[in-house]
Amino acid sequence: MPNLLHICQWIYATHFSTAIRESPYWFPTIEGIHTLGITAVVGTIAILDLRLLGLVMKSEPVSRIARQVLPWTWAGFSVMFVSGVLLSIAEAATNYFNWAFRIKLVLLVLVGLNPLIFHLTIYRKVNTWDVANVTPTRARAAAFCSLFLWASIIVAGRLIAYVNM
Amino acid sequence: MFLIVFCHWLAKTHLGIFMRDSTYGFAVVEMGHLLSLAVFGGAVLMVDLRFLGYGFKSQSVSQVAQELLPLTVGGVIAMFISGFLLFLGGPVRYYHNPAFRLKLILFFFALIFHFGLQIVVARRGALRSSSSWRLKLSAVVSLILWSAIGLAGRAIGYV
Repeated sequence: MPNLLHICQWIYATHFSTAIRESPYWFPTIEGIHTLGITAVVGTIAILDLRLLGLVMKSEPVSRIARQVLPWTWAGFSVMFVSGVLLSIAEAATNYFNWAFRIKLVLLVLVGLNPLIFHLTIYRKVNTWDVANVTPTRARAAAFCSLFLWASIIVAGRLIAYVNM
Repeated sequence: MFLIVFCHWLAKTHLGIFMRDSTYGFAVVEMGHLLSLAVFGGAVLMVDLRFLGYGFKSQSVSQVAQELLPLTVGGVIAMFISGFLLFLGGPVRYYHNPAFRLKLILFFFALIFHFGLQIVVARRGALRSSSSWRLKLSAVVSLILWSAIGLAGRAIGYV
């Protein structure tokens, strides 16, 4: 019965993984896209988070900003997901032991749970606080968690290369 | 001639020596550079998308530019400060790096182009639609410029 380490090592040994990893062109290009893609995901969601904190676009209803910004966040996330998976395939065996990579994965799960909880609870009643002068505490807490988690993900992602043994 | 002398001088300043020798200095400043990039890039992206008629369609072009001005201007200032600190860690080395030179040239051009345009548009409150092909072209140029700057920055480590 193969364990996770064996699976990672198997992936690492494939032609596909090796081709990306050893290419002087492919790995830097995919990584460059992954780095610049941060702006599309974190930069856009930050605008919504800052709106929830009452710091930008206060004249616009929260739901309208969410509706207009989220498609771009999702588009950016799909780019990040694909490039991230490719990078993870290329470094499967080494990432297995990398604590920065592990923490980043845990944080990614948390940053997904945060808006899920938000949308299932306080956001359900958004029409009651859409244009409120002060957004509800739970909405602001969700925004703060979002910003904090994404910042931590970026830091963890950068640390992966530093932690490499 | 003066530039290289200036770079040598910068390398010998207290801050320069600190950035060069500090174990965590470079990494921490680089994280700041990356985090500022996230906020700045996102704001620039949403402004340029609005110029193209996408994104925050319920607000006018000048409204979006104006609302996000703190993020675009504040963001680029944060990028510049963190970038300058990174540069201080090895001014002469970066001076000779072609990717770094390209990045700086593109950066100064982008500053003038993008912010000159942004501020004009933000102040011209009467501007309601983005049907003008000039606005759309400038948005495309802006996006290409900033992307190129980002890629050039990434290339610094490889060249």
